[in-house]
Amino acid sequence: MKLLSLLTVGVLFSLPLQANELSIDVAPGLAPVNAATTLPDRQAALPSMDKKADDIYLQPAPLAAIPQGAFGDKVRLGYQLFVNTQQLRDKYVGNQLNCVNCHMNAGQQANSSPLWAAYFAYPAYRKKNDKVNSFQERIQGCFTYSMNGKAPAENSPELVAISAYSYWLGMSGLMDQYKVTGPVPELSDVELVKGGKRDDFSMPAAIAKNLDITALSQLPGRGFPKAPQPELAYSPERGLVVYQAHCQACHGENGQGQIIAGVAALPPLWGPQSFNWGAGMHRVNTAADFIYENMPLGKSVQLTPQQAWDVAAYLNSFDRPQDPRFNGDVSKTQAAYHQHQGYYGQSVAGKPVLGAESHPVFPLKN
Amino acid sequence: MVNVMQAQAAEISSPPSTMPAVAQLCTSCHGAQGQGIDIIGPRLAGLSAEYIANQLTLFHAGKRQNPTMLAMAATVQGDNIAVVSQYFSQQAVADIPLQFRGDKVVISHPFEALAFQGDWSRTIPACTSCHGPSGVGGGQFPRLAGQQASYLKTQLLAWQNGTRSGDVDNMMGNIALKLTAAEIDGLSQYFANLK
Repeated sequence: MKLLSLLTVGVLFSLPLQANELSIDVAPGLAPVNAATTLPDRQAALPSMDKKADDIYLQPAPLAAIPQGAFGDKVRLGYQLFVNTQQLRDKYVGNQLNCVNCHMNAGQQANSSPLWAAYFAYPAYRKKNDKVNSFQERIQGCFTYSMNGKAPAENSPELVAISAYSYWLGMSGLMDQYKVTGPVPELSDVELVKGGKRDDFSMPAAIAKNLDITALSQLPGRGFPKAPQPELAYSPERGLVVYQAHCQACHGENGQGQIIAGVAALPPLWGPQSFNWGAGMHRVNTAADFIYENMPLGKSVQLTPQQAWDVAAYLNSFDRPQDPRFNGDVSKTQAAYHQHQGYYGQSVAGKPVLGAESHPVFPLKN
Repeated sequence: MVNVMQAQAAEISSPPSTMPAVAQLCTSCHGAQGQGIDIIGPRLAGLSAEYIANQLTLFHAGKRQNPTMLAMAATVQGDNIAVVSQYFSQQAVADIPLQFRGDKVVISHPFEALAFQGDWSRTIPACTSCHGPSGVGGGQFPRLAGQQASYLKTQLLAWQNGTRSGDVDNMMGNIALKLTAAEIDGLSQYFANLK
């Protein structure tokens, strides 16, 4: 089990495949012919960790400390892409979401799948695609699934930038914690996109002395902590009540978020503008973990575990964009990729089978 | 969503030329086009009909308290709530250059930083994460950009001391409670000056 948790640390939303292995623009009803997309789903439930009361979380340096120069420019671009991912709409993004919608505080917030923890969890072997995934491959997965888009090519400026931002957050935080002075060591693009969980990763001695590679890959606050189990089996019907009471004011009666000045200030939770059926968040457990820890925004109220699970079930009981691994048949796709807590391939409350009428993958905006 | 945006655009391009009689009473404090009169009455133009209507009902219910508005809101009942709300929501506000979250990485102005990045050490999200780019607002989230500083300040204080309530889960009360007096002043000035 320990090995399993190591393998999956930091993997939150999507199930990465290499962009060049994917047939992104497959229309519903047409099966992609591609070995990578036909791998069986052997991934265990997405990782979530127990939260300990005495956990101390890494605190990245303020953004103002990002250095001038080419390296700093990449870090800054990474921040900007992360917060305003809509600038990549129609290029790599096919919905109204921004990375920051699920990773609070621009990917800096502990227990909100922070980038600083994810960076040191890759490269990692993943059964999902039977290979070692680099950090950039993990990010590619986010574009493919969570953003319902098209993954940027390997080593593209966007993947370098998001990697640089993630690395800088993590390294600046570690250096502060272990009193390492001086600027964050600059890495080449080739190094940046690999991720920090490797023997040949250059780590200041004062940090390496305190944290081995395993500890670094399991920094407190990584991922979403595990929501306590609900007393009753989760229920979309009860979730509707929770949704109306606590979520609808921001996400709308129909779950389509709040569009202001053409952008989703509050994100759509289902339907054509939300994450697709391959994103980790469509799993009830993952959504429950996220919601329990991070919603409602600003924590004016703490949902009970039961409420978090029920509302996670509710929002995932609506159709959304098709699974990019769709193989032409909902039940076969379900069997291959959806042996977990979710509703793909099922009919909820007498509605059509989810996945049978799914919205398109990576549609252009207009 | 597209339809909503198109509808809003259409409304802005052709504001109603005639004021409904029931809105006449509002204009002595809020101005004929709902542009507001500083200290006397906040700007209504730029707020959504949904928001204005909801605020009227909150005055009716005592969840917002203001001696003048208590009396004035009482004169607007039933179908007139929608009439008044529609009228003022359709009054034009000047276009302002929009700043989107992430446009700036390093924000030296402390209250602009709070507006666009929040302070997550206190679980304060960015104001613009609900109120939209440059706080122009939409739906239940009122426009902050160009609103009077005095009004923004009194409202944040009202949220703090509980004399304003009525939003789901006391969202805004929760956030206002975390703000310092200096932050309330600074944020009010910052948004008021976006015009």
